[in-house]
Amino acid sequence: MSVSYCRIFAVVVGAVTGVFALAAQSQQATKSNAGHDASNPVHAIVLPQYAPEISTGPNVDTYRKYCLVCHSAQYVAMQPRFPQAVWEREVKKMIDAYGAVIPEADQHEIVEYLVAVRGPSKSR
Amino acid sequence: MDRRHFVSLLASVGGLAAAQRGLGKTLDLMAEATAPAFESEIGGAQELARYPQKTDLILLTDRPPQLETPLRYFESELTPNDAFFVRWHLSGIPTSVDLREFRLEVGGHVQKPMRLTLSELKTRFKPISLVALAQCAGNFRSLFVPQVPGGQWGSGAMGNARWTGVRLKDVLEAAGVKAGAMQVGFRGMDVPPMPATPVYQKSLDIDRARDGDVMIAYAMNDAPLPMLNGFPVRLVVPGWFSTYWVKSLSSVTVLDQPLKTFWMDKAYRIPDNPDANEDPQHLAAVTVPISTMPVHSIFVRPEPGETLRAGEKFVLKGVANDGGSGIRKVEVSTDGGGSWDEASLGSDLGKYSWRTWQASWTPPAKGTYRLTVRATAGDGQTQHTSQWNRSGYQRNVIEHVEVTVS
Repeated sequence: MSVSYCRIFAVVVGAVTGVFALAAQSQQATKSNAGHDASNPVHAIVLPQYAPEISTGPNVDTYRKYCLVCHSAQYVAMQPRFPQAVWEREVKKMIDAYGAVIPEADQHEIVEYLVAVRGPSKSR
Repeated sequence: MDRRHFVSLLASVGGLAAAQRGLGKTLDLMAEATAPAFESEIGGAQELARYPQKTDLILLTDRPPQLETPLRYFESELTPNDAFFVRWHLSGIPTSVDLREFRLEVGGHVQKPMRLTLSELKTRFKPISLVALAQCAGNFRSLFVPQVPGGQWGSGAMGNARWTGVRLKDVLEAAGVKAGAMQVGFRGMDVPPMPATPVYQKSLDIDRARDGDVMIAYAMNDAPLPMLNGFPVRLVVPGWFSTYWVKSLSSVTVLDQPLKTFWMDKAYRIPDNPDANEDPQHLAAVTVPISTMPVHSIFVRPEPGETLRAGEKFVLKGVANDGGSGIRKVEVSTDGGGSWDEASLGSDLGKYSWRTWQASWTPPAKGTYRLTVRATAGDGQTQHTSQWNRSGYQRNVIEHVEVTVS
C-alpha cells in the first residue's frame, strides 16, 4: 500500500469514526431531549459546541490564556464598543470580583486587545 | 436570525430614546460588523442555537449558556419549556443529575436539618401551583442609552410558566426555624470555574421566604424542568426578578445574619429609587439589591419589520406585567402618544403572571407610524418615559415600535 493509500484509509477511518461519534452523541441528545424518563433516575444532557471564532488582535494569546478559561469569547464579542476606561474596569472586575488571576503586565495586554476589537470605532 | 431581523427585534421593544439613539447606535454597530475582522464575532452573537431539551433560541453566549427567547413565542400566554430563556452565571453548570443521589439540604439556623430526596419533597409536602413570570434583571439591557456592559439581551430574557412545587414556608416549618432567623440563603449545583470565583448564592429575608408564595418548584408547565432551567428543582420567587430563582437548587440555609456574598453585596444592585434611575455623570451613591419587577409592557405584534396594509384591520398584541399586583389597564397609541386607546386584556392567570393584551387597529394611510404601549398595574403604578442605570437593570420605560404601512 502506497503512502497516499494509507492516508486515504486513515481519512476514511477517521470520517467513519467521526460519524459514529456524532451519531452516538445525537442519540444521547435525542434521549435527553425525550427528557425525563420516569424509570431512569439519571438525567443528563450533552452540551453542544457553539464556540465562536476569536477575533484576531494584539495580544490575542494573552486574552485567550486568561479570559477564555472561565467564559467563551462571546462575552466580549456581544458587547457594544466601549472606551478604554470601561474595558479597564471590566478587567479589574474579573480580578477583584470573579477571582481571575492575571499578572499586571498581562492585564494591560488584555485591555489593549479589548480596545482593539471592541474599542471606540475610531481606534480601528 | 439575520442581522436585519436582530436589529428589528431591538427596534420592536425600543423606547423613543432607544429608537432614535440606541437603535441608531445598534445599526452603527451592525454596520461596523461588516468589516471582516469583526464579522464572525457579531455574527456569532446573533446566531440561533439548539441546546438539549430546547428549540432554536438566540445565542448570546455558549459557555456558560445564555439563550434568548425569540419574540414570537410571547404570543402565547405560557412560554413553552423548550423556548424558555436560559441564563447561567458560572461555566460549571450541571449537565447530569442522578436522582438516587440528589438531596436538597435544608439546614443552618434550624432545629432539624434535613436532606430531602426529590420524591420526599414531592410526597412530604402539599403541592401548590401558580403562574409566574420569570424575568432576568438585565432583560432589555441592549436598549439602554448610553449602552452598558453585560449580557446584551433584547426582549427575550423572560418567560411565563405554570410552576408546581412545594411552599418554601412548609419546608422551613418542617426543619423548625430557630428564633433569631434573619434570612434564608440558597445555592445550586453550578460550580465556579476558578477557586476564587464566588459561588452563586442568593438570599431572601425570612419574611419573604415564609410568605407562602415562594416555592421550590419541580415542574414547569406540568413537565419536569429542562436541565438548563434548573432540573430537578429551582426556587421560584414570584414577582421578583429571576436572579433569586436559584436553579438546580441544592441547599437552603437559614441564617441568623445577612448572607455575605458578592451576588447580594456587589452584583444585582440598583439605585435606591423606585425607577432604578441614575445619571451617567452622577451615579447614585446608594444602591440596594434588585427585587420586585416594576410595571412594564411590550409589543409582540407587529413583529419588527412587519409591513401592515393601509385600510386593513390589524390586531396589535403584546404582554404586560408587574411584580404582583396584576395589570389593571393597557393603553395603546398609534399617533406617537397623542391619543390612547384601551387594549383588551387576555385571561387573568394570577397576579404574578404577565397579562396578554390586544387591540385592533386599521392603519388609515400609507406611511410610517410609531406605536406606543403603556400599562397601569393593579396598585396604580405606571410607566415612565426615560430610565438609565449603570448595570442596565429593571428596564420599564414606555416602549414603542416603528411600523411601515404600505
